[in-house]
Amino acid sequence: MRNTLKVAKWEIKRNMKNKSFIISLFLTPVLFLFFFMLPSFFDDSDEDAGTQVFVKDELGVFDHVKKMVEQNDLLTWDLHKTDLDQAGIEKQLDSEENAAYISLTQSALENGKVSVLTSEDVDENFMNEVRFLEEPLNQLRIQQLGLSAEEMEVISRGVVFQTVDVNTAVKEHATSDEGGIVLKRIIPGAFAGIILLSIMFTGMMIFQSASQEKKDKIAEIVLSSLTPEELMQGKILGYFVLGITQAVVFIAFALPAVIWKTDIPVMDYLLVPEILLLVGIAILGYLLFASLFVGIGATIEDISTSGNFQGIVLMLPFLPFIFIGPILNDPSGLIAQIGSYIPFTSPGVLLLRLSLLEEWPWTEIVIAVAILIISVWLFMKLAGKIFKTGILMYGKNATPKEIWKWIRA
Amino acid sequence: MMETMLSVHDLGKSFKNKQIISNISFDVKKGEIMAILGPNGAGKSTTIRNIMGIMYPDEGTISFQGHKSIPRHKIGYLPEERGLYKNVKIMDILLYLAELKDYPLKKAKERALRYLKKFNLEGKENTSVEELSKGMGQKVQFIASIIHEPELLILDEPFSGLDPVSQELFKNEIRNLAEDGTAILLSSHQMNLVEEMCDRLFMIHHGQKIIYGNMDEVKEEYANFKCTIRGKNDHTILEQLPEVQRVEQQDDTSILYLTKDVHVTSWLKQLPDDLNILELAIDRISLHEIFIDIATDKNLLQEEGALYA
Repeated sequence: MRNTLKVAKWEIKRNMKNKSFIISLFLTPVLFLFFFMLPSFFDDSDEDAGTQVFVKDELGVFDHVKKMVEQNDLLTWDLHKTDLDQAGIEKQLDSEENAAYISLTQSALENGKVSVLTSEDVDENFMNEVRFLEEPLNQLRIQQLGLSAEEMEVISRGVVFQTVDVNTAVKEHATSDEGGIVLKRIIPGAFAGIILLSIMFTGMMIFQSASQEKKDKIAEIVLSSLTPEELMQGKILGYFVLGITQAVVFIAFALPAVIWKTDIPVMDYLLVPEILLLVGIAILGYLLFASLFVGIGATIEDISTSGNFQGIVLMLPFLPFIFIGPILNDPSGLIAQIGSYIPFTSPGVLLLRLSLLEEWPWTEIVIAVAILIISVWLFMKLAGKIFKTGILMYGKNATPKEIWKWIRA
Repeated sequence: MMETMLSVHDLGKSFKNKQIISNISFDVKKGEIMAILGPNGAGKSTTIRNIMGIMYPDEGTISFQGHKSIPRHKIGYLPEERGLYKNVKIMDILLYLAELKDYPLKKAKERALRYLKKFNLEGKENTSVEELSKGMGQKVQFIASIIHEPELLILDEPFSGLDPVSQELFKNEIRNLAEDGTAILLSSHQMNLVEEMCDRLFMIHHGQKIIYGNMDEVKEEYANFKCTIRGKNDHTILEQLPEVQRVEQQDDTSILYLTKDVHVTSWLKQLPDDLNILELAIDRISLHEIFIDIATDKNLLQEEGALYA
């Protein structure tokens, strides 16, 4: 154990002194945040050039409209009252770039058709945004008919057909409840996801490290001082700490940004007991892939000449992406369940499912985690055997046949 | 007698169904330099790797001062396949390897600096390995193997790839270590160096013992006299001379391998008058020749070995 810690310390120190690691450590979150923020930069520029909206108000509802605009957060609307008639406004619209004219006249109200004139560069969304006026204008029309309040309510409600799927009825209910509940589950999931991704990337570095050590032929010197098992465990532990460091840096960048940009009470959602299970799953996922990579790394001296077999193994962490579509469709469907039981996909799939599901399927979770733990144990054993022989085999990459022989030895 | 540091008994190891080494037995004592010699593929590195616990022997036992477990902290090892972390500073590597041996860091640093100076690498402690030449890298590896003051030092081909100046440096340092009481086991096929510096040798071929013993004894036993004559002479006449085991002839040069018990002066006196001698030289077969002899399976030694046995 003491030797394991020494190796871990060395791997951490070696990488922390390595410029490219430090750069990627900070660059990854910065890049991520940059692309996260990018859309909002464009939004800002749109805001400056808001749509000039001219309202001809014969009905005396301008103040009401103004209030509605504010309520609906239509920040791009720049409201003006105008007395010009249609012909006059057409001329003006020709000269303006981003402007619209809404004529709220008595005749329009009676016909039920409000004409909206727009200049060339008006946002495509504008016609959608204008719809919010439909409701109040309807109200106004009904009011003018002189009906009682009850009659008015019945009419204005109208008739709507609603489809209710028996299966999804419960879920609809849940998700439509409040946005907060969705976030409540997604935020811990996303947090664990970040940890999983970060340690997965450093997991890839384990592969590099083992392969490099084999290529540089230093392994034999190191192995004269400790056992292969200690070397392997030290690597796994060291890169785990590096991965956590990456995750911490990432979160240190992302958390303030999210809190600053949105009003989500992130900390409240994050500090829940569920986070322990989610992070636990992420760590198990790391251990599984770390042992896989350290074993495979010991069989490859030159990545460019490695065979298909190793290539396939290196692709395994990306397997969960296949499941993303079906899981988003149905988080408790058959495919989602299968994904939870395959050790290579289960960390990713479980995190995704648990972020989506309101009610956690505890039996499935227990089975999946049990499978994961057994797989981790098994792969650690196998990786140990492969590592022991592979790391000292110089000059060539191992074939699957050879690897199989080492495992059986 | 000196204390035995390492004792190898009846070591055997096979890969697949091929026996790589068998019945290898030898000792390494405190303060002596013991050499394992043999051509490429003879099983030298396999033997050493088994001693280091990097491979596990199929048969036989290895013990260190009577104990079965490897005292890793007391052993220094320079493997044949050499390498160091490429983009790491020399001092960092040396300290890491010392730390793995549980050697105090402060002392390790002092020793590292002292040895770097000794090997003309002063001021290079903060250079990364990839900036070093191959020879310099080898010096760093040598320092790495002795930084923790090992009691037993195992060097697999320490001289390969070194220029003569560096070879001399290594040779002297290895001798110094032995004088200070370190038990040293080295493998090599640079016979001249081995001949100069080793106390005892173990020659191995096809995974089996050929010669084992004290350097002087071995020389006396195996390094018979040979007589080199330049001049036109008939092969059969030379062969019929007394005490001649074998004659090798090439162009005008004949080499007469003499028997072990030959008395050189009296043998010279009885040479026939009609021999055509342009040049004549008498010397002992060098270790180098014995080695080549074994490596090329000429069987000269086997015959003699049989006689000797």
